[in-house]
Amino acid sequence: MTQQKEDRRIAPVGFVIAAGLLVLAAFVAKDAVGMGAVSSYAGIGPSAASWAVAAGLGLLAAGTLVSTLRGEVPTPEPSDRAAVLTIVAGIAAMIATISAGGGFIPAMALLFGLTARGFGRRALATDLGIGVVLGLIVYLGFTKLLALSLPQGPIERLF
Amino acid sequence: MLDSVFALAQGFSVALEPTKLLFALIGVFLGTAVGVLPGIGPALTVALLLPVTFKLDPTGSLIMFAGIYYGGMYGGSTTSILINTPGESASMITALEGNKMAKAGRGGPALATSAVGSFVAGLIATIGLALFAPWLVEIAIQFGPADYFALMIVAFVTVSATFGDSPLRGLTSLFIGLMLGLVGIDALSGQARLTFGVPELLDGVEVTTLAVGLFAVGEALFVASRMKHAPETIEPVRGSLWMTREDWKRSWKPWLRGTALGFPIGSLPAGGAEIPTFLSYTIEKRLTKHPEEFGKGAIEGVAGPEAANNASAAGTLMPLLTLGLPTSATAAILLAGFQQYGLNPGPLLFAERPDLVWGLIASLFIANAMLVILNLPLIGLWVRLLAIPQPWLYAGILVFAAMGTIAANPSPVELVMLAVFGLLGFVMRRYDYPIAPMVVGLILGPMAETQLRRALQISLGDPMALIESPLAATLLAIAALALVAPLLFRGLSRFKADED
Amino acid sequence: MFHSYKMVTGAVAALLVAAGLSTGALGQSLELKIMAPAAPGGGWDQTARAMQAALTESGAVKSAQVVNVPGAGGTVGLAQFVNAKGDGSQLMVNGFVMVGAILTNKAPVTLAQTTPIARLTAENQAIVVPANSPIKNAKDLAEALKADPAKVTWAGGSAGGTDHIMVGLFAKAVGVDPTKINYVPFSGGGEALAAILGGKVTAGVSGYGEFEGQIKAGKLRLIGIAAEKPVPGLDAPTLKDQGIDLAIVNWRSVVAPPGLDEAQTKTLLAAIDKMVKSKQWQETLKAKNWDDAYLSGEAFATFLQNEQVRVAEVLQSIGLVK
Repeated sequence: MTQQKEDRRIAPVGFVIAAGLLVLAAFVAKDAVGMGAVSSYAGIGPSAASWAVAAGLGLLAAGTLVSTLRGEVPTPEPSDRAAVLTIVAGIAAMIATISAGGGFIPAMALLFGLTARGFGRRALATDLGIGVVLGLIVYLGFTKLLALSLPQGPIERLF
Repeated sequence: MLDSVFALAQGFSVALEPTKLLFALIGVFLGTAVGVLPGIGPALTVALLLPVTFKLDPTGSLIMFAGIYYGGMYGGSTTSILINTPGESASMITALEGNKMAKAGRGGPALATSAVGSFVAGLIATIGLALFAPWLVEIAIQFGPADYFALMIVAFVTVSATFGDSPLRGLTSLFIGLMLGLVGIDALSGQARLTFGVPELLDGVEVTTLAVGLFAVGEALFVASRMKHAPETIEPVRGSLWMTREDWKRSWKPWLRGTALGFPIGSLPAGGAEIPTFLSYTIEKRLTKHPEEFGKGAIEGVAGPEAANNASAAGTLMPLLTLGLPTSATAAILLAGFQQYGLNPGPLLFAERPDLVWGLIASLFIANAMLVILNLPLIGLWVRLLAIPQPWLYAGILVFAAMGTIAANPSPVELVMLAVFGLLGFVMRRYDYPIAPMVVGLILGPMAETQLRRALQISLGDPMALIESPLAATLLAIAALALVAPLLFRGLSRFKADED
Repeated sequence: MFHSYKMVTGAVAALLVAAGLSTGALGQSLELKIMAPAAPGGGWDQTARAMQAALTESGAVKSAQVVNVPGAGGTVGLAQFVNAKGDGSQLMVNGFVMVGAILTNKAPVTLAQTTPIARLTAENQAIVVPANSPIKNAKDLAEALKADPAKVTWAGGSAGGTDHIMVGLFAKAVGVDPTKINYVPFSGGGEALAAILGGKVTAGVSGYGEFEGQIKAGKLRLIGIAAEKPVPGLDAPTLKDQGIDLAIVNWRSVVAPPGLDEAQTKTLLAAIDKMVKSKQWQETLKAKNWDDAYLSGEAFATFLQNEQVRVAEVLQSIGLVK
């Protein structure tokens, strides 16, 4: 995370970020073009802010490019891709379970189990079990005590 | 004013009965217990727990109600500090320094300064409410769109305090936040912006979804990615669990300054609770004797914004009680709550039902005190949460983050947004981009735009309207100064350095 | 104005009743699901939860469950609701606001796809001015608007909502081009009211209840309510009595999914009828200050159709829908 002043190498990621900002700017600008002219006594309509943001993002893309070329963008430290992917898989599994009507408790169990695995735990079955218990407590607390509705699946309908 | 004092004394005589104190204690306990659930901010907490109070007599329920209100507020800060998951936008700033403190074993002092600061702020603001409400509210109403716009500009300028060491990266984060602020139906024209035909996006990006995604999910991913190379160590307690002499010394002024910002801005009909917390953070960062600690867990950065947040909450009661204006989500619920007691907030309330108004204000004092009494002993318990093994701790945080999002809006689209913001938070951490400016952009962008266009619409497009009000002109001047002054100072000090 | 809170607002009283649900629900065997196409808190959610309590306590149904599907003026919920074709155990709360939202959001579904059941409540819409305004009555306001529509600024709820539509209708009624109105939308309960009280705008439009306290305290002057006939027990002139042909109410209703057979529709109509006549429901109306506007079956279907036509016309004439 620390900026290494001596190490003034060009980090390729800077180009990616600059390009990304440019794409975002283009998106916002395109959206602004698509907005019909709305007559308003204010003199400016809803597209004015879009143009301002698009211009800002464009300038920042240019700024990022310059700063990359000057070697001011730090090269990130190594990261553990497998860990990140495992947790992302957990989040994706949670969303998929809820979308498919699998219910709140299994979704939370998957999220809990896979996140713990991402953090280096090997006992997936135990962690899934903990997730089920946690999800169950939360579910009962929410629906019974607080009268809030959470997504239901086969398990939740038992209560 | 003497009448007020007398009426307040009478309110206290009722509220101080032992059974009433017990109700206050139960209220604070329930409020804190529900408020600590991430994603459940004070508004929802009060809404969910209000039914509990209806089973009591009016005075008793009012007191328990006040307890729930304060408990819910405090509960939201607790999650910000302990697990980096703000329950509402106003406690986002608290997470910046508070969570850093918690990870460095200073969670105890962070929670304590937050509790005591909330107490101090609540106390002063409630006194302000009791004594000056009718006058202050007349001033507050005079605030027009141009004045609000100027206030937002001041807030924007101060955002740079959250930028970290690179203005370029800070601005990038801010502008992505502004872009997210565009998403949804434009408030003034009804036009959809950046919604790509997804109906769920028409309502815009929810601030808590962004904050929880960036802070909690992003952080979990980042910590996991660094585990093998530079494992994070969390110490539940290092040094004192309680605030040290030094902590007190560094906290009391931020509490007072935070209160001074929070109460007046909170009492403005469109002031909100977020802006005072931003301003407070900036001011503390500028005034601190320990600038090197900011970003790594400076206690001033918790004390000030927390006091500002609580004072602004008391501030919102002013337009609510005197005019019947609910100016925040929480206030709207309080209004509904009052109506259940046969209280109809509005201009006639103070005249028609002084007993209930002063009873309520006395209850606020008592609930406020009860909050500190209940929560200080609990701090030891809270920080123990951090002793949970890391995999389970972060897995639990993600479960609670998802749960909060689902509870507020049970739609897969919202969860996908949470995941996307989580990944964004991870990428930004990895490449050293600050994340707070993005949330600030999302909050302030639409507010500033709306007020600007409202002002122009009322003036029929005449930009002079933006500076015609003396207040707006003053605020804009302050903003300009705040923008230019640091550059000047930097120039000066460089000049001095050259001389040496 | 409260609809526009994005955040969860006050489920309060509704939750009270929900929490105190009685168990002794006999009678019908219907297990009902009521969709509130909004977040917990706002008007539709409160209506759904009040219905839930009244339906079960009066024994009109066996059980009732409230499901919140927030988003886009209710159109997210509506899109989901029309998929429940032929399901006679579902109801959705909706209202005047949704009619407009469907058009302004270009929703792919419409209320015409649903089976109309009944209109339940209504709220009178009112126009006010600050107490020190030179405008004394509806005629003055009409004159000012005719003189220069740009200079008459109106504060009200979200763009394309009930308040906006009402201002458009007002302009039309007095012969001013509705596209020329200077309507300033505010979100959230208090903001518009603060702007009116502070004299930042010429006039304000919202539900009467929201202005009541201020009118009684003499801080706002009531110009008129947009009711068809004078409301008994309410000291408020109607716009019609002042020669302005404008009547509009902010109503709330329930609809059922598309494709119901006659028996299913009858069952739902009967359940709602029993609910509306229950003591519980009448008490809720009183406590929440909702006007009873019960209208069911065919009569409601016709009403709904007319409102859709009228709203579409107004939104087109104020330029929000092309």
